[in-house]
Amino acid sequence: MELEALQAALPEIQHMGASLVAISPQLERYGRSIHRRLNLGFDVLTDRGLQVASQFGLVFVLPDYLKTVYLQFGNKLDEFHGENAFRLPMPARYVVDQQSVIRSANVSPDYTRRPEPGETISALEELTKAGA
Amino acid sequence: MTLQQKLDDFKAQFESGGPPYNAPMAVIEIFHRATEELRQSGLAERALKTGDRAPAFTLNNQDGTPISSVELFAKGPLAITFFRGHW
Repeated sequence: MELEALQAALPEIQHMGASLVAISPQLERYGRSIHRRLNLGFDVLTDRGLQVASQFGLVFVLPDYLKTVYLQFGNKLDEFHGENAFRLPMPARYVVDQQSVIRSANVSPDYTRRPEPGETISALEELTKAGA
Repeated sequence: MTLQQKLDDFKAQFESGGPPYNAPMAVIEIFHRATEELRQSGLAERALKTGDRAPAFTLNNQDGTPISSVELFAKGPLAITFFRGHW
């Protein structure tokens, strides 16, 4: 749902000269399948071993009781990620300026909460207005 | 409808335990417990935040093409969304 909503906001993001990328620990073939299915105009990047998500401080290990439920539902994170660690990133949206400084951050420990694309657009607008 | 409204609708449907997901109450409680534990861990508060420097990265896109943050920053600001995956 979030990727579809961001896709709808993409023209506005690009109009400001900004870029948008989505990052997940899923291997490329899964990223490719999402990209095609949702007909996305932005890149879906594979963060193997959650290295970038770790640098942002977003990674947690699934507790055993949750891992059991995931496996019951066919969420084979080991296959999807190419590792056995059963780790996930917290959902997060960042806006970063051209000097690599984070200008807006929204990190959600509750995976059912996500920021609106409009918030991201506003953060980008402020940046482009400021001439950063 | 906003993104969050859609997510809330989905959550309500899932947590009703009815079709199409037919989620058992025990499973719903497990998801709640996991989210609550993650919230209480304070991990989100320790993640990178406004004013911090974002690490540079080069990651493959859906076609296997390496995408570098440095090249993206040369064009303009960057919005990054971290997501868990589509299962």
